[in-house]
Amino acid sequence: MLRTTALAATLGLIGGLAHADTLTFYTAGPGNLADALAEAFQAETGIAVNVFQATTGQVMARLEAEEANPQADVVVSASWGSAEDMHERGLLMEYTSPHAGMIPDFLKHSHYAAQGVSALAMVWNSQSDVPRPDEWADLTDEVYRNLITMPDPSQSGAAFDLVAGLEAAMGEEGWGLLSALAANDMIVPGPNAAALNPVLQGAKAVVFGAVDYISYGQAASGETIEVITPSSGTVIAPRPIMILESTQNPDAAKAFVDFVLSDAGQALVSETFLMPARTDIEGLRPGINELTVIDVDTDAVSARRDEIIARFNETVINR
Amino acid sequence: MPRAQSVLTTLAACALLILVGLPVVFILLQAVFPDFARGSLDGAFSKLAIISENERLLLQARNTLMLAFSVMLGCLIFGLPIGILRGLFHVPGARVWDVIFLIPFLIPPFIAAIAWMMTLQPRGYLFQLLGFDMGGFLFSFTGVAFVMTLNLFPLVYFAVSRALEMVGGRFASAARVHGARPLQAFFLITLPLSIPAIAASLLIVFALSIEEFGTPAALAARTGFEVLVTGIYTRLSDWPIDMSGAALGSCILMAMVLAAFTLQNWIATRRSYISQTGKPADPVKADPGRWRWPVLGLFTLVAIIGVVIPLAAITVTSLMGTISGGLNWSNFDLRHYAPIFHTGSRAGQALATSGWLAVLTAFATAVIGALVACIVVRGTGRGRAVMDGLSVLPNAIPAIVLAVGIILFWNSPYLPVSLYGTAAILLIAYIGILLPYPIRYAVARLRQISVSLDDAARVSGASQIQTLRHVTLPLLAPALIAAMMLVFAIASRELVASIMLAPAGMRTVGTFVFAQFEQGSVQTGMAMSMIAISITSGILLAVNLWLARQDSSAFSG
Repeated sequence: MLRTTALAATLGLIGGLAHADTLTFYTAGPGNLADALAEAFQAETGIAVNVFQATTGQVMARLEAEEANPQADVVVSASWGSAEDMHERGLLMEYTSPHAGMIPDFLKHSHYAAQGVSALAMVWNSQSDVPRPDEWADLTDEVYRNLITMPDPSQSGAAFDLVAGLEAAMGEEGWGLLSALAANDMIVPGPNAAALNPVLQGAKAVVFGAVDYISYGQAASGETIEVITPSSGTVIAPRPIMILESTQNPDAAKAFVDFVLSDAGQALVSETFLMPARTDIEGLRPGINELTVIDVDTDAVSARRDEIIARFNETVINR
Repeated sequence: MPRAQSVLTTLAACALLILVGLPVVFILLQAVFPDFARGSLDGAFSKLAIISENERLLLQARNTLMLAFSVMLGCLIFGLPIGILRGLFHVPGARVWDVIFLIPFLIPPFIAAIAWMMTLQPRGYLFQLLGFDMGGFLFSFTGVAFVMTLNLFPLVYFAVSRALEMVGGRFASAARVHGARPLQAFFLITLPLSIPAIAASLLIVFALSIEEFGTPAALAARTGFEVLVTGIYTRLSDWPIDMSGAALGSCILMAMVLAAFTLQNWIATRRSYISQTGKPADPVKADPGRWRWPVLGLFTLVAIIGVVIPLAAITVTSLMGTISGGLNWSNFDLRHYAPIFHTGSRAGQALATSGWLAVLTAFATAVIGALVACIVVRGTGRGRAVMDGLSVLPNAIPAIVLAVGIILFWNSPYLPVSLYGTAAILLIAYIGILLPYPIRYAVARLRQISVSLDDAARVSGASQIQTLRHVTLPLLAPALIAAMMLVFAIASRELVASIMLAPAGMRTVGTFVFAQFEQGSVQTGMAMSMIAISITSGILLAVNLWLARQDSSAFSG
């Protein structure tokens, strides 16, 4: 009796999932954006989208584990380097969306294009007793002692890009800055959420190198935090959207990419406080043109990833 | 040779092989052949170098062992006294306490860690209420061990109380008749007879603490204290993915747990712990008498630290308009519950999915677990030790690695039919991950039941199956039910395998909460946890009360 029920439940779900005209979409967060895009796309085209949302690392791990028998059709990652890597391994399908014309050249490629862009910033709790910092280097001041957090570059691709960017822009001085922050008792508690949470409650005062859109969203919902982008420059983290070469459903996949880059899709991206990839769509926060962007050669930096992480660990975490 | 037995043995062996054995084999292959997932056998053994060249790995291994032993000690401190009291005395509200002490399993470990952080860190709830904080304690080795202990001590509580109930007052009474003082009887008779159960629960505590990720990731990173599993996790969840390195790290973990398992097995089998011989006996429990209030006080204290404080922190957080607003009446707000209840929300789907998965997993693991336990303890076949070892393996492998093994195996192109990409794969993963509970509990219980009961049934003309059904299973039932409740509780909020294996479009409670915490609102994540914990503990309470009713009317034993 029980077995029968179990079987029925299982089969029911299998039946529900294995629908003919569906698209499988793997994406890094935010989850509500993925759901909103899926719903709006289905409303427009009638094609159902099954969403798998996790961190970039988890998405990549799953893609790699499934490599012998790929499941996904369309992927969004939060790391530009991961798209380059997949392209080099021949896993991506070449496609340029008609909407890509309004995307700046440095945010697109023959096989992938940015869906949205985030930047790295400082996030300051305005209720803390410390003054508002303007520049990365301000945080080496004694008043911020033991009040700074930073996402772990080995767990956050964006924080890694920031370390690489500081090195690119400042050379050895960049490492000097990190070392001074470490001397000021900065903690490196884990990925982005782990770095932001203590600042929200006031246990710490500033995040050094937070992914900005999450904090813009939280500030909008009433948290007393401010996102500060240093005018000396910061790095951006474009979020590539790509179609897997192995897709069984290329037309639907292309239609989905088109939708994400359409006015409606980009408006949904913008609502999450990301910068839309298209320059003609208004964002809810300062756009790329208002930032001083540090140029990072992602290829060269990816190749040196282990070395940079090791040096960061040695300089900051002391391990 | 009875055919029924060999058929059952074969069935159980196949189940274990498919659920656990093959995924592990695929992981080992991946460890040896870095490009195995891409269908290539090139570069064999090229990754093994990381074991020898990496001092950090050794440090992590040492930290892992230190942490596991501290957590075992902590679980004894928290779980043993109340377990003994619950097993030997009429503790008022016993069934309710059982449900209360199941709650730590219902709280996802990483949520519990965050709740403690928000309570104890500088400017946390404790500071906002009383003006001081305990951040120094929390972000230390002791703090990590403390939080992990609170997740796991119920394992010892349940194992000890069930075992003592069975050993019962009868042997102690015999000792008393022969002139032993109560404490003497306890330390010489009752406690030693419960050793298999205590050792089995400590083995699970050991295995779970070395594979636990959430707590060390949330807390230990703040202290520069790294364990093996955080390293494995990083290799698997950070691009570029190093699956071979992760598989190798898992091999070290597996070796540790197998060593612990061998030790536990030696303790449990080197002499007889049989206490159930079939002689009619009332499971008489003593009345605590004038110790009633101190006993209740102890239960309350453990419940406050282990259950009330984390639950309160979760509830309070879920009700806060903004985190930075702090504990002000004006800051309390239900708005973070709204996304869960709005129509068409994914939260309802997540609750339903986790619900049916947890129920099916509980029943499936109980059936397989009972079968395996019977074979391991009663069987005569050569493969029984192997089978016992196989059953402890999933505990030895971090869930994320088993999940990868499951993907490698079930999604392999050589399989004619694959369940991968369907909901069934989650069920398979849950069963594989949670199977050790029923097996360990049932094995420990069976070691207390005399074979002469089976023999008596057989002499009286019962077939092997009939004996199993009418004698062994009813005697096993209490341990199996306790294990099923644990499985249900843990499965209802499982996170790691769910993230890796849930088919696209499917959410569970764990993945919903995690996604909220990572990129949505901490409060909504906490709100969803709260709802899930309430539903699950309500179900468990109902089952427990129903069992209490059955107890008074049905058989005893």
